[in-house]
Amino acid sequence: MIGNGIPGGGDIAIGFDKNARRGLLLVSPTALYALALLAAPLGAIVLFSFWTQDFLTVDTTPTLNNYREAFANPLYALLMGRSLLISGAVTVVTVLLAFPIAYYVSFYVNPRHKSLWLFLITIPFWTSYLIRVFLWKVILGFNGVINSSLLELGFIEEPLTFILYNANAVVITLAHAFAPFAILPIFVALERIDRSLLEASRDLGEGAIRTFFRVTLPIAMPGVIGAILIVFIPTVGDYVTPRLVGGPEGAMIANRIQVEFLRLNNAPMGAALAVIAMVLVTFVSLVIVGLNRLWLGRKS
Amino acid sequence: MTDPNRRQIISLRDVQKHYGSYHALRGITMDIAEGEFFSLLGPSGCGKTTLLRTIAGFEDVSSGHVLLDGRDMEGVPANKRPTNMVFQSYAIFPHLSVAQNVGFGLRKRSDLDKSAKSALIAEALGMVGLDGYGDRSAQALSGGQRQRVALARALILKPKVLLLDEPLSALDKKLREQMQTELRRLQRHVGITFILVTHDQEEALIMSDRIAVMFEGQIAQLASPQELYRRPVTQQVANFIGVMNFLPVEISMGQGGSIDLDIAGLGRTTIDSAQCPGAIRPGLGQAGLRPETMTLLVDGEDADGHLAEGQVEELAYYGDMTYYDVLLDGATVPVTISMKNLTGRQVLDRGARARVAWDPRALVVFAE
Repeated sequence: MIGNGIPGGGDIAIGFDKNARRGLLLVSPTALYALALLAAPLGAIVLFSFWTQDFLTVDTTPTLNNYREAFANPLYALLMGRSLLISGAVTVVTVLLAFPIAYYVSFYVNPRHKSLWLFLITIPFWTSYLIRVFLWKVILGFNGVINSSLLELGFIEEPLTFILYNANAVVITLAHAFAPFAILPIFVALERIDRSLLEASRDLGEGAIRTFFRVTLPIAMPGVIGAILIVFIPTVGDYVTPRLVGGPEGAMIANRIQVEFLRLNNAPMGAALAVIAMVLVTFVSLVIVGLNRLWLGRKS
Repeated sequence: MTDPNRRQIISLRDVQKHYGSYHALRGITMDIAEGEFFSLLGPSGCGKTTLLRTIAGFEDVSSGHVLLDGRDMEGVPANKRPTNMVFQSYAIFPHLSVAQNVGFGLRKRSDLDKSAKSALIAEALGMVGLDGYGDRSAQALSGGQRQRVALARALILKPKVLLLDEPLSALDKKLREQMQTELRRLQRHVGITFILVTHDQEEALIMSDRIAVMFEGQIAQLASPQELYRRPVTQQVANFIGVMNFLPVEISMGQGGSIDLDIAGLGRTTIDSAQCPGAIRPGLGQAGLRPETMTLLVDGEDADGHLAEGQVEELAYYGDMTYYDVLLDGATVPVTISMKNLTGRQVLDRGARARVAWDPRALVVFAE
């Protein structure tokens, strides 16, 4: 009875429930979709990784043999290491090139033209990813745009071979493909910086370069970290680019997973490799986030 | 307050600033003395912030000179000038703690070791009443605290001039009034020249030694608060500083530097020409009187001097004060008269007849 005495108390509780229910209703299609197409396959992959392929059937006795094999065979370690290395290189190249572009658009482009610039930056997305990778093949190939131009101009005697069918080609192609993904979060982070902070730094005696490292970069760091993760995480598992421009030297872990699943008909082994790749990516991402915390912590 | 023997810390010589076709500063010439609390007062868009940013080094001058402590600042960037600024937004670095914000400018002081810097920071925080706040995140501060941090961060560098860009405009009324007093006290304590930009005339009057009133890129009047309030040189200044009643007047020159006036609603009187700092010439003009210089007489009261009559058209009761709009006989627009609600003083009703006592010494006359 005392509780009922609070004016509107009951109404508030009901209203809250209603809101919560409406919220659940709103997210449920997406949630179900994610559950069916993300969580379920992920669970299946994890499950499969503990099973064994027995010629045409799958032996469902739980075992760690796939993982033992994955760690014992140097081929897997090589592919995994190369994947991390290539995607690390892609990340570094992409973010280092994206930052100046984002900085330019944020700080130097007339505010009225900023959206036009962002629009232009996303133009590469107008063509399919596959076509873009193929185009890089045309550009980088033995008789490609670069080689024939350089030969024609007399800069080289014979076609350059270090730009196609190896890791370099993969880095170049992926860096181009992921550039907008890196530019946008950095741009957003830079846009949010109150310009008077930069003036305050100048006013307190710091020049342009010190101001960048003491104010601009630390405040934009969440955007940079976002860009790093957005580029790094999907490129580790990229399959199309290494397949098309990587050659044998540029093959990455995803290519091997495909081979295990489809050609060797060893789904459990492929699943184990996929799980290991996921765990490694998660680990590296956490390290990146942790290092950033440490760096910002040291600054503050 | 305007001691000519004091050293001039800032000298502006015909400073002009153009933004494309927009003429933001139109020939500013003035001197600001060492240790002065100086205000730039004007409506938004009058160029006061541009002028402040010109002194700070964030804006170049199109022509003219800015001298700081006798040195021409042309080509000297903001980070090399002996000025520090408190920004309107306070510009507190969000990724740093309070102590790191305050100590931001100390990096270059290689003569100080870490503990000496910490001591300076603690001292600066103490000065603005934020002892013990050093370890807090700058983001966890209230508006008033952010402003104190901005002050400490600027003052720790012991600038020759502290520039304040509307520092109190973001605070609520109570806090603003408190900070006005505190800023004044702080300025006296550190003895540094403060230049305050504000659009709030009351704030400028309360805090400043001298005020430059700016309109449209020019200084309309540069004077002490009392001078500015009592003897505004133009109607525009008079209107901007406080409230002033204007009555049409016929001006004729009297003998021996006196001026004869025939004021609508108040009648004939003679004043000394020293009472009119602005340009004056015979003909039509406006006579200005502040609301508090007139007295609304109640029954039984009598005036020794000048008396006018009229009718109360409107009144606003503020508790401590009552503001009357009185239409004087012979005038076309009502005048505002403020009366203190002293014990026993009767508040007149709307429509009541009113007798108004006034003093010619309070008159300011503007030629048309």
